[in-house]
Amino acid sequence: MNSGMIRQAVRRNPWAFLGPATTQALAAALVTVGLCAMASLDGAPLTVAQRARMVEDGSTDAGLLFLISSIYLSVLIVGVTMGTAIGDQARDLALFRTVGATPARTRRAIALQAGLVAVPATLAGVPLGLLGGAAWVHGLVGHGIVPAEVTFRVHGGVLPIAFAVTVGTSLLGALIAAIRPSRLRPAMALAEAAVARGRGRVRTPLGLLLVAGGSTLSVVLSGLDAETADNGGLLVMLSMCFGTGLLGPVLLRVAAPVARLIGPAGRVAADNVVARSRSLSGALVPLTLAVGFAAFTIVIGATTEHVTGVAMGGADKWLTYSGTGVYSAFAAVAGVNTLITVMRARGRDLAVMRLVGATQGHTLTVVICEALVVTATALVAGAAVAAATLLPLLHTALGTWVPWVPLPFLIGVVVGTAALVLAGLALPAAVMLRRPPIEVIR
Amino acid sequence: MESVLSLVSVSRRYRRGVLALRDVSLEVPAGQFVAVMGATGSGKSTLLHCAAGLDRPTGGRVRLAGHDLTGMRESARTRLRRDHAGFVFQAYNLLSELTVRQNVTLPVRLGGPRGRTVDEVLDQVGLAGFAKRPVGELSGGQRQRVAIARALITSPSVVFADEPTGALDPTTGGRVLALLRAAADRDGAAVLMVTHDPAAAAWSDRLVLLREGVIAYDGPAPRADEIADRLRGVSAVAA
Repeated sequence: MNSGMIRQAVRRNPWAFLGPATTQALAAALVTVGLCAMASLDGAPLTVAQRARMVEDGSTDAGLLFLISSIYLSVLIVGVTMGTAIGDQARDLALFRTVGATPARTRRAIALQAGLVAVPATLAGVPLGLLGGAAWVHGLVGHGIVPAEVTFRVHGGVLPIAFAVTVGTSLLGALIAAIRPSRLRPAMALAEAAVARGRGRVRTPLGLLLVAGGSTLSVVLSGLDAETADNGGLLVMLSMCFGTGLLGPVLLRVAAPVARLIGPAGRVAADNVVARSRSLSGALVPLTLAVGFAAFTIVIGATTEHVTGVAMGGADKWLTYSGTGVYSAFAAVAGVNTLITVMRARGRDLAVMRLVGATQGHTLTVVICEALVVTATALVAGAAVAAATLLPLLHTALGTWVPWVPLPFLIGVVVGTAALVLAGLALPAAVMLRRPPIEVIR
Repeated sequence: MESVLSLVSVSRRYRRGVLALRDVSLEVPAGQFVAVMGATGSGKSTLLHCAAGLDRPTGGRVRLAGHDLTGMRESARTRLRRDHAGFVFQAYNLLSELTVRQNVTLPVRLGGPRGRTVDEVLDQVGLAGFAKRPVGELSGGQRQRVAIARALITSPSVVFADEPTGALDPTTGGRVLALLRAAADRDGAAVLMVTHDPAAAAWSDRLVLLREGVIAYDGPAPRADEIADRLRGVSAVAA
């Protein structure tokens, strides 16, 4: 029976599993990079003086920092994509419960499903991470950040640790998403599947609490010394990221009415975004993270250079930007995957719109308006996360409240985010619109 | 009376050579309620899809509200459908996460004519006060009435209904049919309904029986039991 449910889930919407699988593969790759970087730095045949210098300038910590950030990102992003994939199956889960599956059995089936996605994804991700790790170590040596004696080494625990991270985060995300559908009484479950799920009675207050906490901390840190502000920055970022993640549906519902200004298509798009705020927020979270991470790193570097007039060293620049680039790319891929999943599940809705009189072009315009709402929300939320994190640092270390945002970066981030969201929403929609609506409805 | 829907020797051949409709001609005047019946595979759904411009016939001509659909491009046909046709399906085909009002006004918000107000059509289908409810919370009969309200809001020339009572019990189905009847009598819309249920067909003015893609009977709709007899006769020959 378990395998039957999984087969149904995979056949009905194979795209739904592409999101979790890709993000898990990338998570496995990042963890591998981090572990191998650590092994390479620790295992290098260095003199005592060389090692002491590395410890002093903090480059021995680079691998560990990378690893911790990778795991943190994986928990957030794999959890979110897996949650979206399971949420998509609410109706099938309800049927599964109706024909006699106990809540525990439903949870087991979901857990098995999450595990099954994680295994091939991890096996694909680890080799990718080995390649990436080798390239990174090579880059560290090439930029003179570490001595030439440092060579690429494979960490012995790569496979078990990568599996622990992907399977663990996948299970966690899936089981949290499955709490509602597995606990509902079957009769309610079937009705529930058709109705919008839940009202976020825990989610929204918790999100508000985290954002309020992060903002307060940000204000408090601004009044302290530079070192404390620097140490507390991570905590601000953590709570802001988790907080905006939880507030995702609310943010989209607040932003949606803006689309009404665009015209009739925008009004339909606004309704769609409100109705689907929950599933769309699965994409909003990673996109916000990508924007927030990138903005934080770029702006703090640019402002420091601008205020002090001292250009950042090439090596420092490479280290920061390569890390940020990898994280942002990871989050962006996850966001696009979730958007594709959400869009693929809407084939029937698009067909209904066309039946009641929307042309192909008109339907696509509605989808593009939805994409603009998601883009704008991700940009604003990402900017808020970055601002809360970096303003105290700027104020305490540089004595300025004004962040310096390079124009090419600003344009790049806006265009890049819009391109990602359009690729995730409008592209699959355009493909689906090629089928005659009456064939989809049948 | 000028017909609002006109099919002239319409044929539809599918890719594998199956001829679903052959030389079907049908003139429907405004205010007439037509029931199309026939065995499974007789071509009744194909007839409805071709008449509504949802499918392109391989031969013959279709005119809807005075416009020739035959040579039209997809986007022009879509606009014609939006402005002059309303649709009711067996599976409701509503956007279940939107509210009743959002569903009913969808054709208007997509640029169609606002023939009537939301309150007016919701009142007509007996759903006054349901405007803000999410469609996902409604029963099957209520959903089908939302679909009818959505079909009527543009004051269409023709309402196309594909097995509108197929998923409903006789009482609920009766209410839906009475609404289609009223659309013809009160609003003067032509109604083209495909059904397999003789009791549903008995609500119509005119019965069209299809057999293997050809019209086997076209005349005034008799009583339900007679319809059932005729249907059995047609199906027996077909089988």
